[in-house]
Amino acid sequence: MSALQTSDLTAVAAPRPVAVQMTKVDKYYGKFKALSGIDLTVRKGEKIVICGPSGSGKSTLIRTINRLEPHDGGTIVVNGITLDGSPTSVQDVRLECGMVFQQFNLFPHLTILENCMLAPRLTRKLSKEQAEAVATKYLERVHIGAQAHKFPSQLSGGQQQRVAIARALCMEPPIMLFDEPTSALDPEMIKEVLQVMEDLAEDGMTMICVTHEMGFARRVANRVVFMDQGEIVEEAGTDAFFETPKSDRLKNFLAQILH
Amino acid sequence: MELFSDQFNGYLWQMAQGAYVTLQLFAAGFSLALVIGVLVGIITLSKNIVIQAFWKVYSSIIMGVPSLLIIFLLYYGGSAMLSGIFGTDRSFDVTPFGAGVAALTIVYACYIAELVHGAVMNLPKGQFEACSALAIRPIAAWRHVILPQLTRLALPGLINIWMIVLKDTPLVSLAGLNDLVANAKIAAGATKEPFIFFIAASLFFIAFSALTLRLSARLETRFNRGIAEVKA
Repeated sequence: MSALQTSDLTAVAAPRPVAVQMTKVDKYYGKFKALSGIDLTVRKGEKIVICGPSGSGKSTLIRTINRLEPHDGGTIVVNGITLDGSPTSVQDVRLECGMVFQQFNLFPHLTILENCMLAPRLTRKLSKEQAEAVATKYLERVHIGAQAHKFPSQLSGGQQQRVAIARALCMEPPIMLFDEPTSALDPEMIKEVLQVMEDLAEDGMTMICVTHEMGFARRVANRVVFMDQGEIVEEAGTDAFFETPKSDRLKNFLAQILH
Repeated sequence: MELFSDQFNGYLWQMAQGAYVTLQLFAAGFSLALVIGVLVGIITLSKNIVIQAFWKVYSSIIMGVPSLLIIFLLYYGGSAMLSGIFGTDRSFDVTPFGAGVAALTIVYACYIAELVHGAVMNLPKGQFEACSALAIRPIAAWRHVILPQLTRLALPGLINIWMIVLKDTPLVSLAGLNDLVANAKIAAGATKEPFIFFIAASLFFIAFSALTLRLSARLETRFNRGIAEVKA
């Protein structure tokens, strides 16, 4: 069965169109090289997990994809749009990518529902009724519809992060970027957020996740990318990544985090 | 002097008219300073070196000079300045009221701009990033996300400036404006009753401050929507 699944996956995955293509991407903070020569291809429907020690550049990498950080060298193409720094390309790429942050970044002065309605109304020009319908749909999907009229500060961290996921989904982006979505959460709330992300993965969303949740990576990811000191050290299918790591750096890293 | 004699009432009426002038001066000065200060505050957030250098020099001059001097400069030098800008063939009358409004606006727009800077620094960077990630364009982001939160952060400082502007208005009487304090001084001098008229003028300012505090409490409740419940 599992052999069939794997071959099935490779057969489907190979011809799939490319969602994100990063070629030789460099990024400097002053003189510090935060990313060096990053090559990464993510195909439609793939789930990629990026892991690595802190300061390895994984957050920087994911933030260059929707240009929260401009890159200094190489090319990034998202769903056919080349990020060349022009306002149109940036805007178009941001419409393709939803993002979930470590610190949720909900708008504290707006209710949960208003948080979800704002961007669709402003950017997709939906009417109030349409935006409300979309927001309600995705809030139900992350199991938080009942809290729609509360303010973010009245919710737990796990609930806030689920709202943040719903808020990103309301723009109906084909690609979702997760930047350590569970790192700021109390342990008992991590599961509810991961569950929502797993549901999303099952629906075929293209996902790129920076996370330390290796259990999640094993269950959900097609491929895992290991970064250290601004470079991609190793990239492999999920099983190979955990079972037969090649580089010493990855072996050390896995030894430290898998206990 | 007998209280509520015709003469007394006359002076009191004159002070009431002065109070009206004071309020007009305050309202015009503060609202112009607020609008211009917020705009300038946002513009000078720019990292552009020219803008930064200009702002540093300009704001330290304006904030380092007493308001009274700026009022005098604009009142006594205003018409020459306007002629210089718009041509010497036209003459300009600068009234004490006009000079006062302009001076209060120029001075307090600076303070309000600095207040805006401080509030923006205190806003978590994630708020800007969330807007960018949601493809909300900068102007819409400022209007719907940033400014409402800045208002909350800047409100205590704004209330302070509001009070200081009010208490600075009597300076314009030194340029000849017949405001509340100028008329109180006339009444006190003419009747040799300094206490009655100056205390009456003080009561006006105290009453206005009390109103201000009421208003600010209301506004704070309104802008703390969603914040007040934050768990410690």
